[in-house]
Amino acid sequence: MKVHVKNWHAIAQWRWDTGASDVDDDGEGDVCGICRVPYEGCCPSCKMPGDDCPLIWGECSHVFHMHCLLQWISTSASKQQCPMDRRPWVTAERKVDANAAR
Amino acid sequence: MAVSTRRLQKELAEIKNQGTPVGIQLLSAENFQEWHLSLEVLGDTVFAGEVFCLRFRFDNQYPISSPAVQFVVDDKWKAPTHPHVYTNGHICASILGNEWSPVLSVISVCVTLQSMLASCKKKELPPGNDRYVRHAPDNPKKTRFEYDDDTV
Repeated sequence: MKVHVKNWHAIAQWRWDTGASDVDDDGEGDVCGICRVPYEGCCPSCKMPGDDCPLIWGECSHVFHMHCLLQWISTSASKQQCPMDRRPWVTAERKVDANAAR
Repeated sequence: MAVSTRRLQKELAEIKNQGTPVGIQLLSAENFQEWHLSLEVLGDTVFAGEVFCLRFRFDNQYPISSPAVQFVVDDKWKAPTHPHVYTNGHICASILGNEWSPVLSVISVCVTLQSMLASCKKKELPPGNDRYVRHAPDNPKKTRFEYDDDTV
């Protein structure tokens, strides 16, 4: 039997590697606690998700859209604390996963 | 579109899809500047049978900036008699002031205030109520409250 491929349609999907397991994934993924938009969406000031609207990780393990978190941290009301646990916000250095770097 | 509008649209959709916690009802949310919710404390408390109305006012920086939240005091509604609630409806609660966090929401504020009322043992006015009410600004966010009592 001979098969001729007449047409093909490639689909790709991406998501931020937040370190969270995908077990409780409801399709929507996790949301940024500040704007309530999925991590894979973008903050309210941006139009395009992706590298232009990245995530930021705290040492406390909480994750936000970088723009949302920076907007909060820039206010005096924030006292430079994580919105989730009120610990002093320290941006975590992300460890590059050896597998992901291949 | 203002940042606040997008966030409030999401909160509103969540309220419509999942409903509100027991004792809390959305009375009006016709725009993204001001919402009203009713608040009732269930169970055996000093506020049994009473229903209150909360007014939320949002500026366009919400949730980075906290909402202005107070009990409605008019012909129909009155404020609960509580040591942290002035008779003009202004509320002294740290999460509405220096402990606001942008991960809080309209519903989470309502739940906190509901438990603040629920834990009240004795109906008392805040000390200095009359003096505060005489000089209070229209917007309770302009008041610098001191949060010195963690027991109620």
